Amino acid sequence: MRKMPFAVCLGASLLMIGGSAVAQQPNFPKVKEYRIERNIPPEAQACIECHRAATPGIFADWAKSRHANANITCLDCHLVQPGDVDIAKGHEKYYGRSDLPYGESRYKVPIASIVTPKDCSRCHPDETTQYSRSKHANTLEIIWKLDPWLNKGMNSDNERKTGCFNCHGTVIAIDAKGSIDPTTWPNAGVGRLNLDGSKGSCTSCHTRHRFSVAEARMPEACDQCHLGPDHPQIEIYEESKHGTMYHAYKDEYNFNAAGGTWTAGIDYRAPTCAGCHMSGSGKVFTTHDVTERLSWETQAPLTVRPQDFKPFPAQTDWQTERGKMRDVCRQCHGDSWIDDFYAGFDKAVEEYNEVYFKPAKAMLDELYAKGLLDKTKFFDERLEVEFYELWHHEGRRARMGAMMMAPDYAWWHGFYEVKFRFANFMEESRHLIETGQKAYVAKDFPNATGNTERPKEVFPE
Amino acid sequence: MKRHIIAAVLVGAGILVAFPLFSMTYYTMVRTSTPEFCASCHEIKPAVMAWRASTHTNNAVGVVVDCMDCHLPAPHRTFDFFFSKTYHGAKDVVKHFLIDEYDREKNRQAAYASFTNEECQKCHRSLLTMPHNRGAMRAHRSVLYARAGYEKKCIDCHYDLVHDDKAQVMFRQYRKTPYQAKGLRVERLEMQRPQPAKGV
Repeated sequence: MRKMPFAVCLGASLLMIGGSAVAQQPNFPKVKEYRIERNIPPEAQACIECHRAATPGIFADWAKSRHANANITCLDCHLVQPGDVDIAKGHEKYYGRSDLPYGESRYKVPIASIVTPKDCSRCHPDETTQYSRSKHANTLEIIWKLDPWLNKGMNSDNERKTGCFNCHGTVIAIDAKGSIDPTTWPNAGVGRLNLDGSKGSCTSCHTRHRFSVAEARMPEACDQCHLGPDHPQIEIYEESKHGTMYHAYKDEYNFNAAGGTWTAGIDYRAPTCAGCHMSGSGKVFTTHDVTERLSWETQAPLTVRPQDFKPFPAQTDWQTERGKMRDVCRQCHGDSWIDDFYAGFDKAVEEYNEVYFKPAKAMLDELYAKGLLDKTKFFDERLEVEFYELWHHEGRRARMGAMMMAPDYAWWHGFYEVKFRFANFMEESRHLIETGQKAYVAKDFPNATGNTERPKEVFPE
Repeated sequence: MKRHIIAAVLVGAGILVAFPLFSMTYYTMVRTSTPEFCASCHEIKPAVMAWRASTHTNNAVGVVVDCMDCHLPAPHRTFDFFFSKTYHGAKDVVKHFLIDEYDREKNRQAAYASFTNEECQKCHRSLLTMPHNRGAMRAHRSVLYARAGYEKKCIDCHYDLVHDDKAQVMFRQYRKTPYQAKGLRVERLEMQRPQPAKGV
C-alpha cells in the first residue's frame, strides 16, 4: 500500500521527463511556460502549443510581449477568412499530423504568414493612419518616380531584391503554385506593398514577435536602413552629442514607458531617433509618420520643403512642423540655442542648394543639351556618376550632418568632399564644352538587366 | 353656444379627415418598411438575398436587423428619418426608369459614405464591456473617444459584412473561424495620401 504512491510518482515523473523532452529544444535549457488561464479560442491554443514546440524562439518572443500580456494570440493577427488569396496553404498539413500536439483537424483555421499594417489597424487604427501618410509607407512609389537605377534598369533584379527592396520593400506576389513568390519574400521593408493593398510593415521597427515599443524607441531600430554612404543617419547620430550621451546613459533609460508618457529628461537623457521624429514630447503628440516633423527634404537632389517635394508632396506646412520640432528641442534646450542651431542648418541647406547643387545641375543640363552627354542611360558616363555622388552621397552627408550636428559628417564626409567633387565635375565638364568632345559612354556597363517597368500595383492607373 | 357647435363640427371634421390620413400614412410606412418590400425592386433583390444569408439575420439570439435599421437615420432623428425614407423611395422609383443598369459597387460605396455610427450603435452600444472578447478594445476606444482628426466610422473596419454574396447561409453561432474586422479600408488610408503633383 505504501509503495503504490511512489510507483505512481515515479511513473508520472518519467512521463513528465518524456513529455518535456519532446517540447525542449537544445538552445532553450528551460522551456518558457504557458498555462492557458485566460479565455482564448481553442484554435489559438493549438497555435501556441504547437509553435512552442516547433518554433520556440517565436513562442518565447511572443510570450514576453505586451500582446501576450493582453491576451492577444497568434490568431488575432494571422487569421484570415476562407477564400483569401494569402492563405498559407502549406500550413494546413500540420493539422493532420498526430505527432504534433494539437495536430487535429478540428483546430484547423486559415492563416496567412504575412501580417500587414491593415491587420494591425484592427487594434491600432490611428497609428496605421499616420503611418500610411509617411514617406516610409510610400517609399516604393517615390523611388520609382526618381531613381535612375530602377527606371533605366542599371542594376539587376537580384541586386534590387537583396539591396534596394530589402529596406524599401517588395511588391508581395502569389506565384503559380499559390504560395508567396520567393522573389518578393521574406521582406519587412517599410514600403512593402501587401496583397491586401496596404503599404509597409510594422515589423520593420517593432520586430516580430515582440512588437516592442521599447525597441522602436532605440536608434538600433533604425540603423538597419539608415546608414552607409548615401544617408548615414546612424553614424551621424553616433557622432552627435545626442548619440554619445545615449551610449553613456542608455542603461538608465526607461524605454518601456507607456505610450504617450516617454519623457525627455526623466525617462531618457538625450533623445534617440524616435525621441525627436516620432515620440510625443512636451505638447507635441506622438506620430507614426516619421517624416511629419521635417522642414527640409535633405535627401532630395535640390533641398526643398516637404510640401514641395514633387514625387510625394507632404500634406504638412513646414513652418508648423518646424514649430513642432522646436517644441521637441525645447524639452532640453533654450530658445536662443534652438534659433542659432537652425540658422546654421538653414545656411548649410542654402549653401548646398545655391553654391553647389544648382550650378552643377545647370552644367549637367547644358552637357545634355549640347549632346556631349548621352541621356539614354544614367551611370554609363563618368560625369553622371560624379553628379549623382555629389547630391546622393556627399551632398546628403553634408546636409544631414549639419542637421543632426555631427561635425565630421557635415565637413570631412560632407562639404569637404562636395567641394572637390564639384571642382572636378566642373573641370571635366568645361573640358568637354571647350573641346566639343563627347563623353566616353561605358560599353560594358555590368549587370544592367533589371526590369524598367513600374510595378502596376504601385501605379494602378 | 353657436361657437361651441362650430368648434365641435371643426374638430369632428378634423378627426374624420386626419384619422384615415394618419392611419393610411402609418399603414404605408409599415408596408414599405419590410425587406420584402425593398426586394420588390429587382435592383435591390441581390442585396436582400445576401442579407438573408448573413449573420445579421442568423444568430444565436434570434435578432434580425432589417434594411431600415442600418440604411435610414436613427428614429430619434424623427424628421430626418421620414424625410430620408420618402426621398429615397421617390428617388428610387425615378431612377428605376431613368438608369439602364444598376451599379451595385457604386451604390455600395454611396451607402458607406452615408452611414453614420448612430445607425450601428442603435444595437451595438456595449463595445467596451465584453470581458470574454477583448479584441479591438483599443480600436473601439479610438472610435468612441476619437482624437480630433482621427474620427472613424464603424464601417471603416466592418465592411462587406452583410451584402457580400455567399454560397451558403451564415450562422453567427456556427462560424468556423472567429469573426474579425478586416481592418481599416485601404480606400480610407488612400484618402490620407497626398495627391502627387502632375507631370512627375
